[in-house]
Amino acid sequence: MKLTKKLCGLFTVGALVLGLGACGGDASGGGKDISVVNSDVSGKVVIYTSMYEDIIENMEKQLEKAFPNVDVEFFQGGSGTIQSKIAAEMDAGKLGCDILMVAEPSYSLELKEAGILHKYDFSDKSKLVFDYDPEGYWYPVRVCNMVLAYNPDKYDKSEVPQSMKAFAEDRTMKGKLSMSNPLTSGTAYSSVVGLLDKYGEDYIKALGEQEVAIESGSVALTKLETGECSEIMVLEESVLKKREEENSTLEVIYPEDGSIPVPSPIMIVDDEYSANANIEAAEAVEEYFLSKEGQKMIVDGWMYAVRTDVEEKPYDGIALTELLKNTIPVDWEKCYRQREEIRTMFEEYVTVQ
Amino acid sequence: MLTKQKSEKFTPDVKWLFILGIVAFLLVFQVFPLLYLVFRAFFGEGHFSFDSFKRIYSYPLNWQCLKNTLITSTFTMIFGVCIAIPLAWLVGRTNLHGRRFFRTIFVTTYMVPPYVGAMAWLRLLNPTVGTLNVFLKNLLGLKSMPFNIYSVGGLIWVLTTFYYPYAFITISRAMENMDPSLEESSRISGASPLKTLFNVTLKLMLPSIVAAALLVFVAAASCYGIPSIIGAPGKIYTVTTRIVDYVYVGSKEGLSDATSLAVFLMALAFLILYISEFAVGKRDYITVSGKSVRPATVDLGKWRIPLTILVSIFAFIIVGLPFATVFATSFTVNMGKSIFAKGNFTLKYWGIITSRRTIIKSSLNSVAAAALAATFGIIVCIIMAYLLKRTRARGRQIPDFLITVGSGTPSVVIALALIMTMSGRFGISIYNTMAIMIIAYMIKYMLMGMRTVVSGLSQLSLDLEEAAQICGAGWLRRLKDVLLPLVLPSVVAGWFLIFMPCFYELTMSNLLYSDKTKTLGVELYLYQTYHSQQTAAALAGGILIVVTILNLALYKLTKGKFSI
Repeated sequence: MKLTKKLCGLFTVGALVLGLGACGGDASGGGKDISVVNSDVSGKVVIYTSMYEDIIENMEKQLEKAFPNVDVEFFQGGSGTIQSKIAAEMDAGKLGCDILMVAEPSYSLELKEAGILHKYDFSDKSKLVFDYDPEGYWYPVRVCNMVLAYNPDKYDKSEVPQSMKAFAEDRTMKGKLSMSNPLTSGTAYSSVVGLLDKYGEDYIKALGEQEVAIESGSVALTKLETGECSEIMVLEESVLKKREEENSTLEVIYPEDGSIPVPSPIMIVDDEYSANANIEAAEAVEEYFLSKEGQKMIVDGWMYAVRTDVEEKPYDGIALTELLKNTIPVDWEKCYRQREEIRTMFEEYVTVQ
Repeated sequence: MLTKQKSEKFTPDVKWLFILGIVAFLLVFQVFPLLYLVFRAFFGEGHFSFDSFKRIYSYPLNWQCLKNTLITSTFTMIFGVCIAIPLAWLVGRTNLHGRRFFRTIFVTTYMVPPYVGAMAWLRLLNPTVGTLNVFLKNLLGLKSMPFNIYSVGGLIWVLTTFYYPYAFITISRAMENMDPSLEESSRISGASPLKTLFNVTLKLMLPSIVAAALLVFVAAASCYGIPSIIGAPGKIYTVTTRIVDYVYVGSKEGLSDATSLAVFLMALAFLILYISEFAVGKRDYITVSGKSVRPATVDLGKWRIPLTILVSIFAFIIVGLPFATVFATSFTVNMGKSIFAKGNFTLKYWGIITSRRTIIKSSLNSVAAAALAATFGIIVCIIMAYLLKRTRARGRQIPDFLITVGSGTPSVVIALALIMTMSGRFGISIYNTMAIMIIAYMIKYMLMGMRTVVSGLSQLSLDLEEAAQICGAGWLRRLKDVLLPLVLPSVVAGWFLIFMPCFYELTMSNLLYSDKTKTLGVELYLYQTYHSQQTAAALAGGILIVVTILNLALYKLTKGKFSI
């Protein structure tokens, strides 16, 4: 039984790869061929994701076209909410989803070790510019970019720090800065690990002396708008979204010492733990998200694509190749293995007075 | 005495069936999940160990959090009760101008999610550009900002403005139901109105005041929204914010760490309940008997105008300012500019909340889930209150205790416990249905209803029921014809008090909702966190308008008998 399923899956994948290959040369008209192949899969697929609600609505429509016979359902929530939901579901022995699009690679390492992920061989790995699991348990699917932001209505650009280093060390900014909580936000945690590697423990200490407020991105953005904060460390997508949707004047600063792109993974849940045990459809959906076409939906959602062959860039953002020229790398193994220590260190320097 | 006769005969009684049913319900859906979680905290690695407890409680930051929780909740309780008593008296028992209006105004903060209000206060009183701070600074010619909301004081202030209604509602209900003859005799004996207030009214009110204080304390201690928004920037962490930090780590260790910390809150709820029982002791004053008429109104005389002005100012500060801020936010495009700046006024956000299909669907879900939770909840409360006040059954305090512990347990812990135990592993599979949300709401919010009904019932003299029994009425009949009509105002108020927080509940819904059971709280949270404070403000404003209209309609329809 299981064998037939696997064979079926292999067949589907093979067909998909062929389909993708066939339409590789002609990007604009390629969608048609994919849907022909994709109409072979059916059933239901539930995706847990921390992406914006607004872009999910758009994705649902596109997925409906690409997978006429699959009922793709999203459950949207903050990454902390979803991770705790998953922890409780794992305890109960079954997850409520088939695909996860949440958090950052260190979380994937954890889930992989817990043995709840399904291995899948993506057809076009050479196009991916970010780390992925060589065994195929997880792939990056979207890039959340950690940058600095300020409000030109309240401050001149020359008044605010231009680098991550100055963000922690420019004492004129004391008490006027804000960032997300690395205890609850994966992207904030990854950024802290990146900065820790680049500048050492002193950086974290400096953040504490700077009296950086630790709060959610939405609160920080409001404070930037009202002028309560002079500068914030924030995900680029949240600023770009505000610029496009609300004509906000808030501006992104790409730090001189590098922005911190945090790839967020896509993972398929193993048959044994998944809600619908619909591996074939889940694999097809993952393949679609990683395809050129799928990546365009990501860019529409103000995030960066994971493939260099996607030319579109987020609204008011920069090109991916441009972004990659100046970044602060993050060691995912370290993120995973030293989580407890790093969190405690951050708490002691920054969170506690 | 009623029951003593019964229990001696050992005849099966219909009331015991009801009571057993409810106790069973509480055992299965509340005690078991929470116990399971506590068990997991001790037996995380397959054998009994205190390790996670040791780790959690040996960490200095956590002790600081425990201290902060105790300090902020205690002061919130003291201030809340101190505000509620005079307000309840002025609004309920005197000839203050516009009493009816103030009554509605003072319960308003109960009707919006606390985190929305916290955002409003943050905008008014932040130490850099807070609107009110800047205004006062210019007005008084100060050198620095007069207030800093990011302090323990600021946290207590916001908590008080949001949780004093718990006390106000409980106390004013009891005050309005009081037997006036005791006060009259005090007046006739020559005591002044003030002396009567202190020597008679307040003393009679003691059980209700203690109940109110308990409510405020538990609500403040288990609140997450306000400390997370007001406390975090000032590095003031409470037990709830720490618990959520641990939970959102998203690992099993995180979960058991969170549970270990949550045990503190549960123990605290237990302790408070015990102390309050002890303080009130056997002193249950029966103030509503068969002969009762509506209590007399105290004439404020020359104080009438000054007191009305004072109450108005208070209402303006505590309700007017923050709600004006919420409404202003909902019409503002760029929050960095004045709402009156050119092109900065918009109706867009109100358009969004009234047209998005998901919001409308979620509202209907919320109405259904909250109404069901309130209805089942109040039934449980009535029967448990009856058990507590009208029987001498051994362990009759246990359900009351369970309801208090449930309320004192942080929402996030309840939700996780339910996910772990109700997803089919132990034979019950209600995860991803509306049932699990209704149960979670009941566990968390029944306390308000329970307290209201208990305080209504404890003021009710037994002779009315005894009279009915002598006339041959059975238990159900007595309940229906005597007890219920007399406590009905309390019951309706209790229903509303459960309904309201469930209606906009956020923390638990956020973990428990599924595609088909998305609620208003989830929507509100999404808009709040996903960078549209304005849409969130419009949604909160919308909720407030709808609820106020409902409350007024209820008042009009029942000619002032039922409303909160």
